Amino acid sequence: MKFIKTVLILLISFPLFSQETFPNNGVESTFSPIYAFTNAHLIMSSEKEIVNGTLLIQEDKILAADSLVILPEGSIIKDMKGSYIYPSFIDLYSNYGIKTPERGSYNYRPQYESNKEGAYHWNEAIHPEIHAFESFKYDKKQAEEYRGLGFGVVLSHSSDGIVRGTGTLVSLSDEKEQKSMMSAKSASYFSFNKGVSSQKYPSSLMGSIALLKQLFLDSYWYENTQKTTNISFNEFNNQLRLTHIFKSSLATDYNRIYKISDEFEIDFIVKGNGKEYEIIDEIKTYNFPIILPLNFPLKYEINNPEESNILTLSKLKHWETAPFNARILSENNIDFCFTIFDLKKKSDFLKNIRISIEKGLNKYDALNALTIVPATLIGEEGRLGTLEKGKKANFIICSSDIFEDGIIYENWTNGIQNIIEEKTEIDLRGNYTFKSGNEEKHISIYGEMKKIKMKEIICDSTSIIYDVKQNSNTIVFHTKDITIRGTADFTEEMFIGKYQNLEGENIPFSMTRDSLFQSTEKEFVMKYDTIIPSIWNPNKAYGNNYSISSLPTIFTNATVWTNEEEGILLNTDVAIQDGKIIAIGTNLKKEELWPKTKIRVQFIDATDKHITCGIIDEHSHIAISRGVNEGSQAVTAEVKIGDVINPNDHNIYRQLSGGVTASQLLHGSANPIGGQSALIKLRWGSSAEEMKIEGADGFIKFALGENVKQSNWGNFNTIRFPQSRMGVEQVFYDAFYRARSYQQAWDEYHALPTSKRRKIIPPRADLELDALVEIINSERFITCHSYVQSEINMLMQVADSMGFTINTFTHILEGYKVANQLKEHGAGASTFSDWWAYKFEVNDAIPYNATVLNNKGVVTAINSDDAEMGRRLNQEAAKAVKYGGTSEEDAWKMVTLNPAILLHLDGQMGSIKIGKDADIVIWTGNPLSIYSKVEQTYVDGKLLFDITKNMELMKRDLKEKMRIINKMVNGNSEEETQKIEHTEEHHYHCDTVEDYE
Amino acid sequence: MFVLNISAQQTTLFMGGIAHLGNGKIIENSVIVVKDGEFDLVADASRIRIDPSAFDTIIRVYGKHIYPSFISPNTTLGITEIDAVRATKDYDEVGEFNPNVRSLIAFNTDSKLLKTVRTNGVLITQACPRGGIISGSSSVMHLDGWNWEDAQLKADDGIHLNWPSSYHTSGWWAEPGSTSKNKNYENGVNKIKTYFEIAKAYSKYNTEMDLELEATKGLFDGSRNLYIHADYAKEIRESVRFFKELGIEKIVIVGGKDALNAILVLQEFKIPLILERVHSLPVNEDAAIDQFFTLPSQLQAKGILFCLAYNGDMEAMGTRNLPFTAGTAVSYGMEMEDAISAISLNTAIILGIDNKVGSIEKGKDATFFISSGDALDMRTNNVEIAYIKGHPVDLNNHQKELFEKYKDR
Repeated sequence: MKFIKTVLILLISFPLFSQETFPNNGVESTFSPIYAFTNAHLIMSSEKEIVNGTLLIQEDKILAADSLVILPEGSIIKDMKGSYIYPSFIDLYSNYGIKTPERGSYNYRPQYESNKEGAYHWNEAIHPEIHAFESFKYDKKQAEEYRGLGFGVVLSHSSDGIVRGTGTLVSLSDEKEQKSMMSAKSASYFSFNKGVSSQKYPSSLMGSIALLKQLFLDSYWYENTQKTTNISFNEFNNQLRLTHIFKSSLATDYNRIYKISDEFEIDFIVKGNGKEYEIIDEIKTYNFPIILPLNFPLKYEINNPEESNILTLSKLKHWETAPFNARILSENNIDFCFTIFDLKKKSDFLKNIRISIEKGLNKYDALNALTIVPATLIGEEGRLGTLEKGKKANFIICSSDIFEDGIIYENWTNGIQNIIEEKTEIDLRGNYTFKSGNEEKHISIYGEMKKIKMKEIICDSTSIIYDVKQNSNTIVFHTKDITIRGTADFTEEMFIGKYQNLEGENIPFSMTRDSLFQSTEKEFVMKYDTIIPSIWNPNKAYGNNYSISSLPTIFTNATVWTNEEEGILLNTDVAIQDGKIIAIGTNLKKEELWPKTKIRVQFIDATDKHITCGIIDEHSHIAISRGVNEGSQAVTAEVKIGDVINPNDHNIYRQLSGGVTASQLLHGSANPIGGQSALIKLRWGSSAEEMKIEGADGFIKFALGENVKQSNWGNFNTIRFPQSRMGVEQVFYDAFYRARSYQQAWDEYHALPTSKRRKIIPPRADLELDALVEIINSERFITCHSYVQSEINMLMQVADSMGFTINTFTHILEGYKVANQLKEHGAGASTFSDWWAYKFEVNDAIPYNATVLNNKGVVTAINSDDAEMGRRLNQEAAKAVKYGGTSEEDAWKMVTLNPAILLHLDGQMGSIKIGKDADIVIWTGNPLSIYSKVEQTYVDGKLLFDITKNMELMKRDLKEKMRIINKMVNGNSEEETQKIEHTEEHHYHCDTVEDYE
Repeated sequence: MFVLNISAQQTTLFMGGIAHLGNGKIIENSVIVVKDGEFDLVADASRIRIDPSAFDTIIRVYGKHIYPSFISPNTTLGITEIDAVRATKDYDEVGEFNPNVRSLIAFNTDSKLLKTVRTNGVLITQACPRGGIISGSSSVMHLDGWNWEDAQLKADDGIHLNWPSSYHTSGWWAEPGSTSKNKNYENGVNKIKTYFEIAKAYSKYNTEMDLELEATKGLFDGSRNLYIHADYAKEIRESVRFFKELGIEKIVIVGGKDALNAILVLQEFKIPLILERVHSLPVNEDAAIDQFFTLPSQLQAKGILFCLAYNGDMEAMGTRNLPFTAGTAVSYGMEMEDAISAISLNTAIILGIDNKVGSIEKGKDATFFISSGDALDMRTNNVEIAYIKGHPVDLNNHQKELFEKYKDR
């Protein structure tokens, strides 16, 4: 990399210009010279460029920038000789001059309350009161680094926490803070990352989201009530008028940010994550301006082919496509600017900008993204972003086009010159004739223009090397043995100087240039590579590389497990269209089903095959991002799995291969009242929102027993209430009594006439209590993790006393003991086929459970709770036949119709019935047999798994992998690489509640 | 269900069963005679003439399936009871090298788990210690007995070594992390090499008794197996070569997820495999979705001797599902009788007990069971009678009792 040298020419110490409000120690300097940069190639903005123009500045302002400028008398003229001048760059996502907060020492005991003293928010991760301007301190080293890359101004903030506080806009000049700070508060910052807070809540992404939503509600309520004083709310409310910058970590975060933006009517600029290209169509609809990181993945060091086996296709594809990210955004008309924040080596910035251009990003779009776009985003376009009269004198002087191979010579910040790279204007290289008296030698000066080398040529094969140093037009040289030491000045193609020999004699000499140095270096050429690699949905192995539609189809001559009164039908046809089942019968005819229409119908011969509806997994934890448990408090009804669906989880595809078409994604079981579920269809290749089942009822996870009382969490987790089954009951009563009063307060409020309502303050909106009220009103339904009979009965009594029904007991391994009570209460059961003995409370679990429950008339399902077993739920259902002798039809319903009933989805799925969703599985044989395999799985009539297509996908993936690996291996060998061993991502486990950043 | 009491001195004739012999053969209409706790005759009814009056007991099992006991290798069954209750776990000792620690004496013949496992056809288990670098010595046990002394089939059959993993994978199934190289791999390997060089020296000459090293002696005289727990090809290659050079005769690779990439070394040294649980998720998002379902048939095609195991999450209670993993192997390309071998005779050969068990053959222990249907499919697995050395096994268990108690409540 090039050597960056910064010299502050005018003054080394601070006060460049005196500040009016400051006392002056000495004689006041009042003169402000005008600088004229003439003969410059001015790139004033992406729209205006002057090939030979003049830039005029005084103090920190631009006086003029034009082709014809009258130079005021006394101007200091700087002849640019064709150098390029650009407005300097702006980075909106920086922590320049801000000390990053550090994590405190780890405490084994969980911390449930805030350790922060003072009248602040209850949660340590919410701190709008942190203002970057308060702690901002000029940092010479960082300033030099930014300036060396062409930046003039950054928006700096403390990058910690969920609500992070405000950022301050500062110039990167070497001045006192009073001068360099351009705006104390320019934006407020948000993220989903808890940061250094040691408080337990939130321990998951969904917890962060819920916390943030509640904050919006609370701050609104606080504003109206002013019952107490809370600095955090004051600050938060004040900051609503600022620009808001939200940091994303995952591509899927965009949707999460959008939902907050939409719900609370607040605009965000999103700090991107580099994977925007994967979901560009989705991003287009959100219309967020994006601050784009430039940290492209390094290529992997692939020496051993076995090692390359652990490199996943998704990583390889990201390596290949990441540099196209900016271009793709630009082509989709999304406003974006750049940040160097995520760059490990900041000096890669220009290199990566140029790579983006080589990948097809337009130069002017790149310039905009570095200048006027960020300026406009924070409302500073009046001061920054272009070279125009009246704007700040923030500009860079470059040797040539900065987006090709231009070198930054100078970076002027606030009208102060900073030299980045000394301009070497004199090219001394060439072949010389050395004359001293009668002596004549041939000397060659060669090498790089800025780092010349010198040798005496004796003959073609022999030469003597001299050490040589250049300073402007003067050279100092000597031979290795110091027999000659000399110095000479270059003027008009000739050196005149003296040398000293070992005897100490000073001998004059001259050296005349006979010919110029012939550079062997190639001319600079941009290496354009503008074909965007194909982007799949999701962009990884088994992803779809084309969109899949629902074709009118007739499956013929199959054994059809209807799950309806008809039972199992032999030699039967099933027809589907537009994602629905439209006919079942023998010998279905195209002409009869679609009379008078010309339609392409697909026939699938299912002779000897079995057709069933899709399997529904009532209890699943696949496809969830960053935490399945918000177990940090006993009650977290406010959190939603629906906020954190991960549509890219490859377990979705694997489960399709086992015939699963729909799942309830449940919160974990770490607390008595967990979070709200998401009901999804396994629409592989769709977005998180598209996977959700439209119109589905709301569900919520409850839990009982060892997990919620933290029995197996070690000796330090003994603080949170409850620690016994006794306490668990009280948590429920407490929660529901609170919910009742809450509802009452709102009911009273709503009962008031509008005129009166306006005069009083509404009750505080509470997301947790909202969910609990829904339960009481039978608008949200409980799936409760449970094992032993005592607690099951307890919860039914709690529900009875509150007037609602427990919808489903999940696991319920002692359900066979309480089947009668379940039946009476009206609860369903969703159990494991044969799990037991993994905890003390499952010591009485029996594999006959499902059979007993089913025989007693309880709606009984068998679930997975496990990604591996989720692929084999048909086999788990078969165990109900083995253990207790459930009929095959009933056993099959346990993984299809019964979970559909428990999830209130039986109106649209769970059987092969006209009008229901075409979620169809074709099996090679009896679906309950271990020897049967899924041949095809359709979701909404779309073929999302096919046993033959699967083989093709594997071949395609391998080919794609080898193609990219070849590209890596055959690429530029000097390019920096990363080892396959790399920093681990942070992950969470089911029963432990970990904090994350 | 019917339970018969066969006294050891008497002869019993089983007529008409579909006998899966465990050695790859099947007799559709079999005659099997049990005498003195051993198989006395195993034959095809269509080929021999039998005089039923010559037997004390005749059991007609027409259309039913007869299997040799399924054998579960590499499991903690019998030395643990409840995962979350530390007090019930007896499989992990303090220290890195514990070859002298024996699972045998911790084997709980009254474990509730045992009884639920044998009802699915698994009557023999290899009780394996876990943890450390050398976890300890395993023993092969019957799933019935008054105490560990009379339940043992082969005491101290081998020593279990955990070879360092060359890679680490972070995360869990809900959020798989990345896989990266283990930086401490070389150190770990060197530690093992040093230890075994010393152990070899001790086996040749020693003056004082060293409990640890004494326990490794059997590795050098071929009386014990060395079970190397290793998954990736690099580990398999390096460990096998090292121990072969050191002169250890009986080596078994346990795990072997990546065995297909180490085929050459396995073939060269004829190393058998105790395979990872078939019902496992693929190693990463790129891998074939049925990676471990198809692994048995792929190994079979390469001529590798292997057997199936159920180690992993909930392995002790889950051992009753071992037969179904063989069923999956059939579904994904194995021949039915070969899959049966993979949970019976192959296992017996690998554990060094095939002289007594593993197949239904004359002279072997009459340790077998009869299922009304195909025992490899949960849809039909229904064990009606089971014998250990000719003695009928009580097929009742804690779970059946609870079922009986509550089913009509």
